[in-house]
Amino acid sequence: MVMSTENNGGGGNPLPEKEWKFSEILTQPRILERWQKVKKWFFLRESTYDMTNRCNIRCDGCYYYEGDKQFARENRELEAWRTLMQAEKKRGITYVVLAGAEPSLVLDLCEVCHQEIPLGAIATNGLIFIPESIQYRIHISVWGSDETSLNIRNAKNMLQRQIKNYRNDPRAVFVYTFTRENIDQAQHVAEILAADGCRLTFNMFSAPMGYDGSLRHTADSLKECRKAMLGLLEKYPGNLLFSPYSAVAHTHTSGLHELFSCPYPRMNPSTAIGLGRSFRQYRTDLSWNRSAACCVPDTDCKDCRHYAAGSAVVTARMFRHATDPDVFKAWLDYVDTYLAVWVMGYEKGPNLSDIPIAPPGHGLF
Amino acid sequence: MTRDNRIDKILLRVAEIMIQELKLEDVTPETFDPAIDLVDEVGIDSMDLATVALVIRDEYRIRIDEDDYPKLTSVQLISEYIERKLKEKAAEGAAA
Repeated sequence: MVMSTENNGGGGNPLPEKEWKFSEILTQPRILERWQKVKKWFFLRESTYDMTNRCNIRCDGCYYYEGDKQFARENRELEAWRTLMQAEKKRGITYVVLAGAEPSLVLDLCEVCHQEIPLGAIATNGLIFIPESIQYRIHISVWGSDETSLNIRNAKNMLQRQIKNYRNDPRAVFVYTFTRENIDQAQHVAEILAADGCRLTFNMFSAPMGYDGSLRHTADSLKECRKAMLGLLEKYPGNLLFSPYSAVAHTHTSGLHELFSCPYPRMNPSTAIGLGRSFRQYRTDLSWNRSAACCVPDTDCKDCRHYAAGSAVVTARMFRHATDPDVFKAWLDYVDTYLAVWVMGYEKGPNLSDIPIAPPGHGLF
Repeated sequence: MTRDNRIDKILLRVAEIMIQELKLEDVTPETFDPAIDLVDEVGIDSMDLATVALVIRDEYRIRIDEDDYPKLTSVQLISEYIERKLKEKAAEGAAA
């Protein structure tokens, strides 16, 4: 594409020389093909559910054990969960995320959720195998090398045990969370996972409210993370579900809310359409609270670069990315990545954009 | 063109875009109820609306602010919005 050399003032993308029509952007066959591929999934409407207030490990900086949601009384009644899922379905929810604290401790409840709403994901530490009858994506959290896991998660041989449980499992995606302290360990972990044929993606540690510990990112650590992500993307394209634009969006000095205006109810008072209308975050007692509802409640919104948040926040901003083919390609890569990470059976295509693109209206950092 | 004619024309075109983009069946631009709530009754979501907004941007060369999406919940409201934006554009053109 012919671009002017003039800059938009934020150190971002050069301004497009012309005002592109959306129909013109779609004339590029690779863009059209990818657009048609991702568009089929626009029906996904998610909500998230804390399944239990228990966990078999305790991690430094865990968002679940912040705020008062950890004190909710557990509802272990299968029929109560079934009724909730049926009501969710009626309300238009087509996708569930089973999270907090550790869903693999209540497999019977996960089974009921899957029976009622067949699309979803489970966020787990991966130490307990989730039976194959539950055909959700399984997101296995990795926080660094085994030595680091021992220090901040108090769990021995974590990666080995996770791989043993989920090697060759088509449901599994290992989610490496970059903290300020484990950036240099990502290479080693990615090498181990790739050697075992595992797929992985990246998350960014996003500080819980009031957290001032050593895992919180700084401008320097964000830059280092981006460099590490882009290097690994080049090295392991077959194993890594990620894109250059994902790296930019999640390592920008501005958090996701500042970059894209978070549409989750916690930050969005509108109930007219989209996540502000349909999204709920249920606690283990099956209650929910609009003022706390987002995919990572009790996270400091200013510091939020969480992969789950980005999946909705960046994806929802299609309109502002449809300015020219390069920016739209970057957005398509992001959505293609998000769908591959979250939806069983969805296969990621090669990234359309090889270079980091700045978020609309912002610079590259 | 009178205001009524103009808005009627926009209404029909917006209904046509809706039918085409959302693959709606058993309805034509002429039979599409412009007052029907697109969210509650047709079941469209923000991504559908963003897609429609891009087609409208192409066709009328107007900018639709993402913050305005919650107000655009019927063909009638979308058409009035387009008309207002076209008027603003014409006024800006005249002033320039």
